[in-house]
Amino acid sequence: MFTAAGFEKTFEYIQLFKEGLICTVALSLFTVIFGFIFALVLSTMRLSDIRPFRFLAIDKEGRELEDGFPAMLGRFNPISFIATVYVEVFRATPMLVQLFIMYYVVLADVQFPEIKILGFIRADRFIPGVVALSMNSAAYLSEIIRAGIQSIDGGQTEAARSLGLSQFETMRYIILPQAIKNILPPIANEFVTIIKESSICYTIGVQEIMYAVSATKGATYRIAEPLVVATVVYFCLTFPTSKIIAYCERRMRRGDKR
Amino acid sequence: METRGDVLISVRDLQKYYNKGAIRALDGISVDINRGDVMVVIGPSGSGKSTFLRSLNLLEHPTGGNIIFDGVDITKKKIKDAFGNWKKLDIDLHRQKMGMVFQHFNLFPHMTILDNITLAPIKVKGIKKEEAEELALKLLDRVGLKGRANDYPIQLSGGQKQRVAIVRALAMEPEVMLFDEPTSALDPEMVGEVLDVIKELAKDGMTMVVVTHEMGFAREVGNRVLFMADGKLLEQGTPEEVFEHPHNPRLQDFLSKVL
Ligand SMILES: Nc1ncnc2c1ncn2[C@@H]1O[C@H](COP(=O)(O)OP(=O)(O)OP(=O)(O)O)[C@@H](O)[C@H]1O
Ligand SMILES: [Mg+2]
Repeated sequence: MFTAAGFEKTFEYIQLFKEGLICTVALSLFTVIFGFIFALVLSTMRLSDIRPFRFLAIDKEGRELEDGFPAMLGRFNPISFIATVYVEVFRATPMLVQLFIMYYVVLADVQFPEIKILGFIRADRFIPGVVALSMNSAAYLSEIIRAGIQSIDGGQTEAARSLGLSQFETMRYIILPQAIKNILPPIANEFVTIIKESSICYTIGVQEIMYAVSATKGATYRIAEPLVVATVVYFCLTFPTSKIIAYCERRMRRGDKR
Repeated sequence: METRGDVLISVRDLQKYYNKGAIRALDGISVDINRGDVMVVIGPSGSGKSTFLRSLNLLEHPTGGNIIFDGVDITKKKIKDAFGNWKKLDIDLHRQKMGMVFQHFNLFPHMTILDNITLAPIKVKGIKKEEAEELALKLLDRVGLKGRANDYPIQLSGGQKQRVAIVRALAMEPEVMLFDEPTSALDPEMVGEVLDVIKELAKDGMTMVVVTHEMGFAREVGNRVLFMADGKLLEQGTPEEVFEHPHNPRLQDFLSKVL
């Protein structure tokens, strides 16, 4: 299965693995950054209070109706609805399908500049990969953000609103500063997940770690040894990362008590 | 200028239903709260006391009825202004004038005591930071907590937290203070220090609505006592009338259990 000669041959292509490592890290970083920004937009949409048909649910005296069809219409928030549909669809379909739709359908006709990021990463493969991964992780990240916000005791909102703070001010000064402590650790964990899931981008030719495996296999006719190397590289990437996250999380918890 | 004794909040046939009317938390409450009143609300658990109090600043949106505060019906989403034009009712504006104190304090744990108190005056009223802090320290001094201004809520005892919560509400200089069982979550030895603060406020003429199970306090400080049961206002009067000469059998039964 494994031979010393096989490892020797594999190590001749170690440069490919180094590049793969850099590419994987870049892919994951871009994904978590864009994914987070997009997730913020999604969770803002989901928590928004935009009700264009509200006027239908107000009676002659100016009171808001509570029951019946007009009341339902009055409560309808199209912005939140769109965001919810997005999140559900992206969480309910396979990453590979999303990636292929992005690469072969949505971005098929887009002409990407023929540049090589960091000297070797092909932009025309890398960018669709980042877009697909970001759109997918945004769905998960927005759920993390939403859960973090909803975990804050309702009494906080009541206290803030009773002081006359608006819904926005309550979010900005009371809820978000507290929620961020609950949000950051799972987001960091999502980063570890992204590192692993980004390997799927090898299927559209992004030169990340699995791409290095495939290229080495083509050149050496060995598969076991390149896979071992890839495993070690992934492990060295994710294991320390999760340990650091866990450490920071413990530190933050302690800071909480003040 | 309005004076003590004028109607500040007029509640008309207030209703709050849950589950499409299956639960009637408030079932037609009508009462006038006058300037300078210390109105104490008593009644068995589940009688709708909290719902009543929370409806007054619209933390609960009533199903029916009216709440006229400073001449404006705040249960409406839209109101007619002086020129007969419809405009949106700004509930934040009215909430500023009603201070609320909760059973569980609800201090903001990520802020110092001082920031807890000055946040709303600065952000909502637009008062300068120095001015807001000066007022906050003055109020903190009144409740004996000036030295704790830079501490965080977690460092305070329950009684201290509740005193800070009262100061936080007072810093907005409200026209009325609403208390929902302010001492129920406290250890017995801390109840007194919080009640003392409320008594001081009563002496200063602050208009207050207090939901409480402290009957001694109700009798001593309240000038009006409301008795609620099943979402209805069953009896009201002076403490003397309600405690010494109760008419309603439900009230007689309730008093025999709590006194
Ligand atoms: N969100 C809700 N959904 C359904 N029912 C509710 C809700 N909030 C309150 N109720 C019901 O309304 C009634 C009145 O509740 P409320 O909290 O006002 O009583 P209370 O007099 O404050 O009681 P306590 O002395 O225990 O605080 C209760 O029967 C309660 O179960
Ligand atoms: Mg209650």
